Amino acid sequence: MPNFQLVRRKFQTSGITHAIFLSLPVTLFAVFYIYPIISTFNLSLHSWDGFSPTPRFVGLQNYIVLLHQPRFYHALLNNISWLIFLLLGPTGLGLLLAALLDRGMRGEAVFRVVFFLPFTIPAVAVAAIWRWMYEPTNGLLTTILQSIGLGGLAQNWLGDPSIVNFALMGSMMWWTTGFAFLVFFAGLRNIPVECIEAARIEGATPWQLFWKVSFPLLWPSTIVVLGMAAVDAMRLFDIVWAMTNGGPAYASEVLATQMYDTAFGRFEMGRASAISVYLLVIAGVIIMPYIYQLAKRVQDSEAE
Amino acid sequence: MNTPTASRKALPFSILIVAAVIFAAPLVVALLTSLKSPSEITRVIALPNELFFQNYAIAYERMGRSFLNSIAITVPSVILSLLVGAISGYPLAYMRGAGGRIVYFFLLTGMLVPFQIVQIPLFFLIRAVGLYDTIPGMWLVHPAYSVPFCTFFMRNFFASVPRSMYEAALIDGCTPAGYFWRLLLPASGSGLAALAIIQSRAIWNDLLFAITLTTSDQAKPVTVTIAGFASSLQVEYGPLMAATLISLLPVMIAYLLFQKAFVRGLLGGAGK
Repeated sequence: MPNFQLVRRKFQTSGITHAIFLSLPVTLFAVFYIYPIISTFNLSLHSWDGFSPTPRFVGLQNYIVLLHQPRFYHALLNNISWLIFLLLGPTGLGLLLAALLDRGMRGEAVFRVVFFLPFTIPAVAVAAIWRWMYEPTNGLLTTILQSIGLGGLAQNWLGDPSIVNFALMGSMMWWTTGFAFLVFFAGLRNIPVECIEAARIEGATPWQLFWKVSFPLLWPSTIVVLGMAAVDAMRLFDIVWAMTNGGPAYASEVLATQMYDTAFGRFEMGRASAISVYLLVIAGVIIMPYIYQLAKRVQDSEAE
Repeated sequence: MNTPTASRKALPFSILIVAAVIFAAPLVVALLTSLKSPSEITRVIALPNELFFQNYAIAYERMGRSFLNSIAITVPSVILSLLVGAISGYPLAYMRGAGGRIVYFFLLTGMLVPFQIVQIPLFFLIRAVGLYDTIPGMWLVHPAYSVPFCTFFMRNFFASVPRSMYEAALIDGCTPAGYFWRLLLPASGSGLAALAIIQSRAIWNDLLFAITLTTSDQAKPVTVTIAGFASSLQVEYGPLMAATLISLLPVMIAYLLFQKAFVRGLLGGAGK
């Protein structure tokens, strides 16, 4: 016969244990997220080169100056293009490839590995490989265009301000499609066969079958992919930094690379902090619904 | 009976083949380039006349040390981040009431923070505690910034373990901490494995934290070395491609070996 009083006491002490456990992540979060964010906000109200003993308080001047800089708007606009591109491009292609492969294709395992492999590569490696692909005279892209008689279409892919962003997005597509593909592929596998069979017996065409049955059931996977795409668009740094450094003439700059250049290239810590705060606010507005979805799913699963 | 099915599959199959060729091409070209001598390198599509392994020797000489640094940074950081994620996910999976939910939401908001925003204070913080340009500094930084994702992942994984196991263990005289260390953690191998792969990729591939917090050959990981290598004015593509291929190999092999665990992990808590 268990001692119920003892058990009840144990459930009460479990509260203390839980609190002790949670103190570790909460402390790390406070030191490495909260403190730096408050500190960045404070710094954004100052003018400081990172060396002089005291930052000079300038109020909102950094924020106002940025709003008068075309360079800032250009980077912001680039972030928005990247957001749209990342939500649609790799997601769409990943979904297409997953849907095509989801019918017992021959060589399925090989396709799966080939599509997914680029995702495992470090951004700097992707950048190194694609700088070589885009090399204007001997790169693969130019060579292929020349060999099919379209050499006239070859461009200075990373050197032309009007093309550089598309070139970067091309390499990003290659890098990240694998993630969307794999999530959708696994999602399609999770759809019960009966749902598909029932619709097929009703006489649905493959097209209808996909859009009316599979796609709605893929919603959990879609949320994961879109959420990650939005997070990536706001954090975007590595690929741009390693491929173009934001150039030529700031054409491919995004807020993160601009912030980095302003802070550690020009030593304008206050200005750079203001860029960061703008970035955080924009990221918050765009990504908060996703975080809310994630947290809400907890309650759904608890309700079951 | 077979023909209509075959023809209906012909179009998707050919699209997949074209896509696979495009996806594989950059890696194949990188591999071929890494095996060519400088005189052959401009003939990008051709096979190398003879295998020129000297590129790998040059690459190893320039980045061998940082490759070791990457291992020294990644392995402990991954282990620590899993541990922190589990310690954080356990109470959040078992706590009833609003308190746990608020802490959970609070930690999750970390996922929306662009890491650039913390770089300047982080730089001064790490320098102030004497960990600037050291490998142990990265052991601290990587697990700390992994808290939101690892918490999310482990909390969802633990939530899929039946609660009755927890209650039974307490009734049998196990303490809540004892349950975590002796029962829950050993039973969570598959979740920890999946998270380990995700974290290995994130930490091995990181450029931003490494570029801010390391500078010398004694501490900087392979990503920083390659970024420097690639942005020098005279890029030698042969050694660069060799270095690039060496740098991507560990994570790629890990994924190929643990593909299944990874897919399960992606959908793990999320897919259920």
